[in-house]
Amino acid sequence: MTILGEYALWIALPISVWGMLLGYVGGRTQRGDYVLSAERSIYAVFFLLVLASLGIVSAFLGDKFEYWYIASYSNREMEFFYKVTGLWAGQRGSLLFWAVILAFFSTLCVFLNRKKNREFMPYVAGVLQTILTFFLVVLLFADVNPFEQLAFTPANGQGLNPQLQNYWMTIHPPTLYLGFTAFTIPFAFAVAALLNGRLDARWIELTRRWILLSWLFLAVGIIFGMRWAYEELGWGGYWFWDPVENASLLPWLTATAFLHSIQIQENRGMLKVWNMSLVLLTFLLTIFATFLTRSGLIESVHSFAQELKIAYIFLSFMGVVLLACILLIIYRLPKLQSENSIQSFLSRESAFLFNNLILLGAAFAVFWGTIFPLVAEGVTGQQVSVGPPFFEKVNFPIGLVLLALAGIGPVIAWRRATKRNLQKNFQIPIMVGCFVAIALWIAGARHGLALVTWSVCAFVLTVIATEFWKGTRARARIEGEGFAVALFHLVTRNRRRWGGYIVHVGIVMIYFAFAGAAYNVDERQHVLPGDQINITSPFGHIYTLTYEGLSVSLGRGQRNLLWQAIATVSVEQDGVAKGILTTEKRQYVTSDQLMTEVGIRSTVREDLYLILSAMDDVDGALSANSSAQGIDLQVLVKPFVLWIWAGGLILALGTVIALWPSVDRRRRSSRPELEAVTTGAPAIAGVAR
Amino acid sequence: MSTVFLGGALVAAAVTLFILQPILSGLHASLDRAEDELTDTEARKRVALLALRDVEYDFLAGKLDEKDYLSLKADLTAEALEALEADAEGSEPHFLDDDVEAEITKIRAALRSGLMCVSCGFGNDDGSHFCSECGQQLKIGAVG
Repeated sequence: MTILGEYALWIALPISVWGMLLGYVGGRTQRGDYVLSAERSIYAVFFLLVLASLGIVSAFLGDKFEYWYIASYSNREMEFFYKVTGLWAGQRGSLLFWAVILAFFSTLCVFLNRKKNREFMPYVAGVLQTILTFFLVVLLFADVNPFEQLAFTPANGQGLNPQLQNYWMTIHPPTLYLGFTAFTIPFAFAVAALLNGRLDARWIELTRRWILLSWLFLAVGIIFGMRWAYEELGWGGYWFWDPVENASLLPWLTATAFLHSIQIQENRGMLKVWNMSLVLLTFLLTIFATFLTRSGLIESVHSFAQELKIAYIFLSFMGVVLLACILLIIYRLPKLQSENSIQSFLSRESAFLFNNLILLGAAFAVFWGTIFPLVAEGVTGQQVSVGPPFFEKVNFPIGLVLLALAGIGPVIAWRRATKRNLQKNFQIPIMVGCFVAIALWIAGARHGLALVTWSVCAFVLTVIATEFWKGTRARARIEGEGFAVALFHLVTRNRRRWGGYIVHVGIVMIYFAFAGAAYNVDERQHVLPGDQINITSPFGHIYTLTYEGLSVSLGRGQRNLLWQAIATVSVEQDGVAKGILTTEKRQYVTSDQLMTEVGIRSTVREDLYLILSAMDDVDGALSANSSAQGIDLQVLVKPFVLWIWAGGLILALGTVIALWPSVDRRRRSSRPELEAVTTGAPAIAGVAR
Repeated sequence: MSTVFLGGALVAAAVTLFILQPILSGLHASLDRAEDELTDTEARKRVALLALRDVEYDFLAGKLDEKDYLSLKADLTAEALEALEADAEGSEPHFLDDDVEAEITKIRAALRSGLMCVSCGFGNDDGSHFCSECGQQLKIGAVG
């Protein structure tokens, strides 16, 4: 099976090149047989890549250590689950996995469009095959072939990095990859529109769902990664501005900008060049993210690769794509003229434009901070590091303005808003925001940035709640429906608008939690069994932690464990017992480094987070000698962390609502516009009755 | 080994046949717009109607002044009607159901008549001069 998989990878390359050429030629010469052949080649490449992936998985399951990849990322003791997910545990497998997901989305795209949007499809097929060809060339010629064999067969493999043996780590990379690769489809449609010259709003309409889908996967993938860092890395945080984290954030920022600015193009026929550029930029950033993650160019927690050849291949590809896209846009400039101009500074389109500039500003800051060390090292030869303080200093104010815009945007009308209306609409939300700030101040909160963030959160939530209230009330009145039914219809008849607002609620929750970090409590103490630590939470209650002792045991080969030391701590809150937390140090066969497992007690208000920082005497503790069980215990109290994960759920829910196909849309194309008029706007519906 | 090689050769042959078949036996993929897809005029109409919906919504939600609302609505209604009429002149009837056509006519009439109350957004019956919801005088024929 493994050898067949390797053959499949080689067969896929000429098929992919064939499809690429026939896609472009078929589009140019309008030859239907060429186009069909190009489309079929996408199905074929998907099939072959699935075969190749099965080849790798079967090699993992069969412990075929003659393959470099298997010997490096697996061993006999590894659990079945991690052997299957070993496909994306390392760079080589990840690249193959990436190509499979891309081929899957390409297949889905070709299949869904087999009877519609036909004038786009030749070029779409061509572009998709171009990207697939690129990944196949990388896999086969950049010294990263996952099927590469060693000159000998080791008795056992080196095993998987223990930090990656975590539930979140098995779902975090695939989710991000889904996000990165799904964005290739909008990119392909954009390039197809540039090539066939059909640059009206249609390509945007065709790709909106794909973009939302990609955005959703990126957002969820980023949050999964935060969760993994929080649980597994053992330093008490969820985001460290690590280059790879930044790399996944970049396309998310530009895709967010795009999701807002396409509304200007749809509503006002403006910003066509801008939108086109955003799609191209986001696509390039997804490739850049793969490049950073998997080229080993920038050392980070995530980078486990050293090869540089692949870096050059990636850079050249990005350069060629960028140049080709710029030339295409210049060639099509006459067709990309704006149909309108901004009528007033006080209008939703100008708010959206502002939001775009800010998002791009944030993306640029993150990008620059990420690659600056590299550039500086190249120029001066000295290693420089750009740490969290830089990113926080730049991104905190930017983030706050963005948050405020999420509250301002919905209240400003398209085209023209008047000051009087703005005053009227902003009065209550601003008052609520101020009230929250004052109340928190009285309650004892003194951290300026946190206070401002929370008060802006309150402002945005009030705006969104008012929007829901007004919309529901209007619908209930005009359609004579009950409030619950009216709310349901309101959301389902304009999913995009209301789904978007729900996403904003999720974002507000996440900001709310971020600001809580200003009140983190962090203490480290040396304790012996029986010692107590008293920690005052920012909410005023007192945790009494009693260190019960350290239990060290030797592993018996399961999960490659050599030994583990478990510190047990019983927790009381204001004198009431709240159970027991454990935190561990583990030594794995596969790594010299000691791994930390943290103990977390999560509540709505705060997380109690315990880290076993150091141990006095592991050998002594192994012989159950209680005087040798002294440890350094780090105790953190982190307010509102649970709200990040909850906010992520709400965000996902809102996005799913926004991208869910409406029943009417499935019927006939003539329906939705009527739906829009007769039911989306209560007023017109009232008139039409 | 030779079995695997044979398997690989079979896969290669099958895949090659699969992608070459359209060219060898003259199978064609369609390259034209499907009948039920939006034409450019329809897309324009749709955009105009959606913009109109947004303006209505913004006004109802108190984000637009009455003066701005009326002038924007007049502009957009003109655009929407123009698009609707351009569409009606084309060869479009094949894709519209009769009831859909009837609804469009109704909307058209309603847009012209100004039966919607500019004060509270209530849709009034034909022949009304005052809003049955709030008593505001209706501006019949003021727009469109």
